[in-house]
Amino acid sequence: MNKIILGLKTASVKAAALALLAASLLASQTALAAVHDISLTAEILPNGQYGYKRGDKAVIPGPTLFVKQGDTVNVTVTNNTDKPAGFKVPGLSTATAAQAAPNGGTLSYTFTATRTGAYPYYGEGQQLLGLFGAVVVDSADGKAESFVDGDGAVRSIRTTDLSRQFVLFMVGSTFWATEISKTGMETPLWTNPTLGAVENEIVRFHVLSIGPGHTFHLHAHRWLEQGTTSVIDTRLMADVADSHTFTVKAGTGVGAGDWQYHCHLFSHMEAGMHGSFKVYSTKGPNKGTGNSIAGASPYGAIFGNTSNDPGLVTFVISDEPGMWFRSARSETIFSVTSSTRSLEVIPPGSSVNFIMADTNTVHTMTSLLWPSAAGNPSNGHHSNNGNDKSRGRGTAHTEHASMPFDQTRAYKGGGIVKLTTPGLYVFTCKVHPYMFGAVIVDDPDTEGLDLGDTINLATGIVNLPTSSDLATRLLRTFFIATAPNNWQKFNSPTPWKITYPSVPVRITGGAVANLSEVLTARYGNDVALTPQFSPAVPGVGEVWVDTQFEKTAGKTKPGTITVVDTSNWKVLRKIALPQINMNNPHNMWTNRDQSVVYQTQWFDNKLTLINQKTGALIKNIRVGEAPAHVMTRPDNDDITVTNNGEDGISLIPAGTTEVSQMLPTQKSGQQATNPHGHWISADGTQVVTPNIFTSDVGFYDLNSGAILERTPTGENAPGAHPIAIAMMPDSSKYYAANLLHHSVSVLDGRGTLKKTINLIADYNPIDGTIQDRDGDGQATVGILPIQLPVSPDGRSVVVANMGESIIVIDTMTDRVVKMLPCDAGCHGANFGAKKGGGYYAYVTSKFSNELIVVDTDPNNDGNLSDAMIAGRVSLVSDSSVPADDQISSLAGYGGQGVLAIPNVYNSWVKNLPGEWKEQLTAAQQDPSLRQD
Amino acid sequence: MKYQHSDAMEDFFASDLLRHSSITFSFKRFCGGLALPSVLCLTLLSLPMEESAAAEHRIEMAAEQLEDGVLAYRMVEHQVDKVNITSRYSKQATVPGPTIVLTEGDKVRLTIRNGISMSPDQQVSVHVHGVHYNILSDGSLKIINKIDNEGAYPDHGGHFYTYIWDVAPGTAGTWPYHDHNFETHNGAEDRGLYGAVIVNPASGTVTASNGSSISSIPVAGIRKDYVLYLSDDAFWGMEIDGATRQQTPLGANPLLSATSGDNVRFHLIAMGTYLNRFQLEGYQWVDPGTARLIGSKDIGPLENHAFTIKALGSANYMNANFSRKLMGMKGSFIVTNAVPH
Repeated sequence: MNKIILGLKTASVKAAALALLAASLLASQTALAAVHDISLTAEILPNGQYGYKRGDKAVIPGPTLFVKQGDTVNVTVTNNTDKPAGFKVPGLSTATAAQAAPNGGTLSYTFTATRTGAYPYYGEGQQLLGLFGAVVVDSADGKAESFVDGDGAVRSIRTTDLSRQFVLFMVGSTFWATEISKTGMETPLWTNPTLGAVENEIVRFHVLSIGPGHTFHLHAHRWLEQGTTSVIDTRLMADVADSHTFTVKAGTGVGAGDWQYHCHLFSHMEAGMHGSFKVYSTKGPNKGTGNSIAGASPYGAIFGNTSNDPGLVTFVISDEPGMWFRSARSETIFSVTSSTRSLEVIPPGSSVNFIMADTNTVHTMTSLLWPSAAGNPSNGHHSNNGNDKSRGRGTAHTEHASMPFDQTRAYKGGGIVKLTTPGLYVFTCKVHPYMFGAVIVDDPDTEGLDLGDTINLATGIVNLPTSSDLATRLLRTFFIATAPNNWQKFNSPTPWKITYPSVPVRITGGAVANLSEVLTARYGNDVALTPQFSPAVPGVGEVWVDTQFEKTAGKTKPGTITVVDTSNWKVLRKIALPQINMNNPHNMWTNRDQSVVYQTQWFDNKLTLINQKTGALIKNIRVGEAPAHVMTRPDNDDITVTNNGEDGISLIPAGTTEVSQMLPTQKSGQQATNPHGHWISADGTQVVTPNIFTSDVGFYDLNSGAILERTPTGENAPGAHPIAIAMMPDSSKYYAANLLHHSVSVLDGRGTLKKTINLIADYNPIDGTIQDRDGDGQATVGILPIQLPVSPDGRSVVVANMGESIIVIDTMTDRVVKMLPCDAGCHGANFGAKKGGGYYAYVTSKFSNELIVVDTDPNNDGNLSDAMIAGRVSLVSDSSVPADDQISSLAGYGGQGVLAIPNVYNSWVKNLPGEWKEQLTAAQQDPSLRQD
Repeated sequence: MKYQHSDAMEDFFASDLLRHSSITFSFKRFCGGLALPSVLCLTLLSLPMEESAAAEHRIEMAAEQLEDGVLAYRMVEHQVDKVNITSRYSKQATVPGPTIVLTEGDKVRLTIRNGISMSPDQQVSVHVHGVHYNILSDGSLKIINKIDNEGAYPDHGGHFYTYIWDVAPGTAGTWPYHDHNFETHNGAEDRGLYGAVIVNPASGTVTASNGSSISSIPVAGIRKDYVLYLSDDAFWGMEIDGATRQQTPLGANPLLSATSGDNVRFHLIAMGTYLNRFQLEGYQWVDPGTARLIGSKDIGPLENHAFTIKALGSANYMNANFSRKLMGMKGSFIVTNAVPH
């Protein structure tokens, strides 16, 4: 174990101060302050995390700098990383210091230790990845924090009475620790370690935090809130940066034992944020010297880094397209996988760390699939009764927690999980379910990378062979979603090439195959893309597409709105809104007169108001975490926004720009619903939400806020993941897409489940064959359905499936009548008016840069069997297209929310101003008069 | 189970026996827990109890399932020095659970039963903060404490688990108790299995504010205690009458009522994932352990914050967290004038 000498001993203390050092140790308040000259370097660790180094090895937390109150500290930082790195101590110096340049830049910093206590120091920008440490400022008189003894007495002590000290950083949802012995030797303990002590030792804890806040709790011990006589056992660590130093007498009043320490934020507990304070007895079989046990470390065993210690790979959770789970050593991994930056490989017993370091909203770190041998789902799930259906919370009673890994509420922070069973693990975010990170736990003694025999899925599918079509199809989806180089580029003449890792993998039955060859053999490669063509009949007005991944030069966050003119099918405008760094624009709606477009920022907490005619910003409003969909009430034009990261719907009264209230989508005390794509009844009084976290559809009265009904969907699958709602024009029926259950639920206006349409009934998940198995005369498949609007005339439902298909459902029979091909990452759909009568469904795809135009009834005879793709429209703009920012990369990609202007859904269409209304036919103006 | 072995017992308790009378009391837990052979039980029971002026509490609680999937604790029986005070509590399981009112120096023997039926069976426990207990009363799973799953499985097998608390000097304050074992080692505190322990100081006095003045008042002079749990989406209240000690569950975002001039005590505990900011408009109170008056307090999950004020006028209380306030996490503190005699 690497040992680093305590700061006080290595700082080169100036000669004048040195002469008086002895005097200062004699508790003299008037001792001349010392000057410390400290040299640090910033380094990249083997797993790609950053760390400060002084001595032979960079560590997380960085070296603990012990000084005394009044001392001056000079720090020189040499930056050996690839990013700017500096040194700041917000608690002691308010100076906003410059950063040392990457690759060898050096900069010096000075601060005075004006106040006692522990303070985080860190390199701004890289601190959540490990560039942090603690400055401990001790009182010049040698006193340390008093402790509360077992008899209740508060005993004052000196630092010389301390048997040991721990520095515990709370970062993301992981503890990073280091121990300082009585003699000042510092030993890194890495992540979530077992902190050792002998009963009745005086132990000092320096708890520090950076990033999103926490509460620190240590079982069965009490201590003093600093500066007060208040006895506490849990302490808030505030957002951004905080610190708290206290002293305990180990086991006083309670005895020896393995006492848990943990963050007490519930989601952080679920995300693995805990360790043990092991108080050894002074005699008996549990007698011990108080040795600590280090946790998984960036220097431990991971792919490409051999070690006998448990290793740690770290995923940075990011708003960046395709890199939502970006390995901290992504460049290294990228060179191996040749495509994705979201795949890691570790040996059994190492751990995976998640840190939400590059995102503006909340997420979960949730198992999507895992090796069957790693968890028994029947042991980890909630009950399926009532409305409290959810995914698993991990298994409780095994030493190795814990598949599936999941958190009940979306949150800010991170996560850490130890993986012991070889095989394939894929993690996702329940809020943003195409964020993927994969880990292969590979037994080094077997041939090929271990994908395992079988996997379990979050939806309750168990023991699915890794050799099955469904398993390899999901793998293919992963390699497309997480690798922008693998996206469909329709503005290029070259065929669509997907680059897979060319590595041997061990699958069902111990067979070893080349991953790239298997996927290419099954699904082809270098596929020629269908040429684009414009629909023969123009549409009415404009189509606004959230090209959510398109990058522009003036923003750090991705996303534009691409406005398409349906008279000529050309891009009319690009709207990036660099002045607000618009972040992942996801879904839109308009006000009554169509003059204002409402835009949600799904990886943020904002709703943006945009001028429809000019594309100019009107206002940016805070609404709630991860706002997903926005809709107006047709009766009064009030705005409703689903907060996908939280538990309610934000209401913004028409004409105002502030949230007046958040309508709860569950009763108090029930599990949070985290609604996504809602719809509002034709009379405006009722909102219907797909409740992702609780796998149900909620019906709510918008006037009273009453919860009218919560109807479970997905036939009791633990994670059906209902994601979008659609509605018949007279609100007589609602449709819900169950993303992970591959089904559509049909409910009546009161919330009674009438039918579940299985979109994969014709699909054999083992061999991948698609044939008519449900006897409807069609061979169709809709894997991962997302948006599914009902046409304004109520005839058809168009379902956009991420599994590259469009399914058309006839609302008369609620049966699938047609399957059409769709692009990679098929996602959004909405209807607009076709010129001269009828409707187009506009379908978007995340991993392509075009818009597909579907005509579900070209001859308008009510028979949908002739549904067809009417056109394929490029979303890539050239320099002639007006734009408020310069497109820099991923041009036209990320198609998600889509909105036709004018808005021609029943009720809304009736409020259109004359300039729009006059472009519609009589039937389009009043679609409730169904003409069959 | 390892702790049945005498070596282990000696390890965990024998050395402490010399110093802590409370541990003598703790031996008795085994006899209720069906864990030890009866001979050993008798041996332990014959150990002398130390005389103390402090009260001895025998408590039995049950964890039950309410409608809507919410879980909650119910007081089954509470005896203080063999006097039954169970009638003070709600007959139903409540959120928050029963408030356990103690005084520094008391001893508690608390048995948990599990009335939650689901398949497969899940364990429930009581993990308490603040007071003293040894590792067998941690209320956690073996994966954490390395000794035993310290909770109760559903009752059909007659299972229960008994905890011993030493309400030692220095533990005065308001503390949470909650489940730690349901489904995972995180427990089901987020689903309703939580409550409060109030440990009144042995001194018999607490600090109170009257407008901007601070004074010390007797605990007996507190007319009402309000336990307010800040869960993720609502304040959940429990009121305790100062004279009758009767507990009344107040539900979500309750209206709190007081008579002008009365001293009332607020007990705030947060629970869940959000960080909260508590405000009681127009009032100032003493930040615990200081002589500072504050009018706003940041409270994170499982932190506690208790203060006593003289009721002077009606006010609104709220959680100022952006989305939690919009979700309706607020309520009224209504102060009315005393009816003249």
